[in-house]
Amino acid sequence: MNLSPLIKEFMERGRSESCPVIDMHAHLGPYQGIYFPNPWPGDIIRTMDRCGVRMVVSSSHAALIDTRENIKMADIVTKYPNRFRAYWVINPNYPERTQREIEQFSEIKGLVGFKFLSDYHKFSLTDPRYELALKYADEHELLILMHTWGNSSYDSPSLVEKLASKYSHVTFLMGHSGYGEWEKSIQVAKDYPNVYLELTAAYAVNGVIDWMVKEVGSHKIVFGTDLPWFDPHYGIGCVIFSRITDKDRHNILHQNAERLIEPYL
Amino acid sequence: MKLFDCNAGFGTSMLRPIRFAETAQGLLKEMDYYGISEALVYHARQRDDSPVVGNELLLDEIDGFDRLHGTFTILPLQTGELGSLEAILEKMRTKDIRAFWSFPAEHKYLMTRIALAPLYDLMVQRNIPLFISVNESCDGISGWYLIEKILSDVPDLTLVVTEHGSWGHDRFFRPLIEKYENLCLDISRYELDGGISDFCAKYEAERLLFGTGFPRWNPGGPILTLAQADITTKEREMIASGNLERILRRVKL
Repeated sequence: MNLSPLIKEFMERGRSESCPVIDMHAHLGPYQGIYFPNPWPGDIIRTMDRCGVRMVVSSSHAALIDTRENIKMADIVTKYPNRFRAYWVINPNYPERTQREIEQFSEIKGLVGFKFLSDYHKFSLTDPRYELALKYADEHELLILMHTWGNSSYDSPSLVEKLASKYSHVTFLMGHSGYGEWEKSIQVAKDYPNVYLELTAAYAVNGVIDWMVKEVGSHKIVFGTDLPWFDPHYGIGCVIFSRITDKDRHNILHQNAERLIEPYL
Repeated sequence: MKLFDCNAGFGTSMLRPIRFAETAQGLLKEMDYYGISEALVYHARQRDDSPVVGNELLLDEIDGFDRLHGTFTILPLQTGELGSLEAILEKMRTKDIRAFWSFPAEHKYLMTRIALAPLYDLMVQRNIPLFISVNESCDGISGWYLIEKILSDVPDLTLVVTEHGSWGHDRFFRPLIEKYENLCLDISRYELDGGISDFCAKYEAERLLFGTGFPRWNPGGPILTLAQADITTKEREMIASGNLERILRRVKL
């Protein structure tokens, strides 16, 4: 068995002092199509402690449906300042709310940027309804976590590419790494300094992490779990057992995220 | 924790996985990397080619490798491709084959009692487990509806459903787990946070089997999830290897 110090530490203790994981793609609360044993903040913090996750950056499930729920995520960040940061969900189905929501967003600490869920909201990433948020994020150098999926007409990696050069001060996290359209996702992350691959669900595909590290470099990959969906140990296991170096594992599991969220700590 | 993988494949498939093992020796090398002691295996050609070809290829490939335990892929016997029931059983005895896989979408047959009665009866009488991915389908029936169809036809069958999850399958499979006591699940994609411990608390660990889904899925995920799940050492060992060993031991060839 491969006994890299990091693998050994996680296998024996379930966590690593030297590798305090940061989860850049999390949620909160119950949701429509799934049973969660651990949906609430207290549950999530217990999971984080069990798995050695220092911090999660979340958008609540409720806010994915009704963006007026975003404000509650701000309360969670206030209550648990060392464990939670948050994205503000933009839902293009209600464009009349976006300006007011950006104003609300600007008044709250602990928010790192926006979350787009285009496949579910049924508007393309390039739709004008996203422009207000994109321009604001560009002016303020924010993060945007986008759900991305291979060959989607709403949020494929090709659509991310169209935004990447236009909004060069935004840091785009390609949620799920454009699942399935790996070559294109890798090319976009390689070509644009402001585009990162985010691993939620993608990590399960055997060999894809090795491929990303080889082509893009581990400095452009961040970790996520969709918590309370996926046990962080599942994703961490996929990362640490990939044929990459411990330095790459540290980059993916925490060091890149530390760099990205440093302005919001 | 001894790991006995219930769901591993090797060989050249029609669609190339990103990472795979072309030979039995290659699979053993992968297993060594992950610390997996033994595996119940199929050859990619058992799924992507005719089982007539694939079953023989598997036997040739794993011959002499004690850590790899073979499986046979089934077809309805009515076409005669697999020979008689007696001939299949004799080959299983000779080669110590103790499990079946079913790929009805690829091999185009119905998972019904009309199509499979002799094989279903053999499996029940001799405690031979049948493995099937929840992603399989047959002529318009798929997923958990297909699993319910199989079990309603053969309620005593030891059926191992693989690759369930990751997008929330508990609402599908828990009613079936409660009704059919020989239904088991592999954990290759049981990613749900707290899922394994929640399941064990309610249904006991004997219904879960360690599987990787190699080569399609990354074995590191289920390995670390199981190693650190909030369950007892005994439950962990049952899932890691004990349950599969018990299922294979019960087989009467």
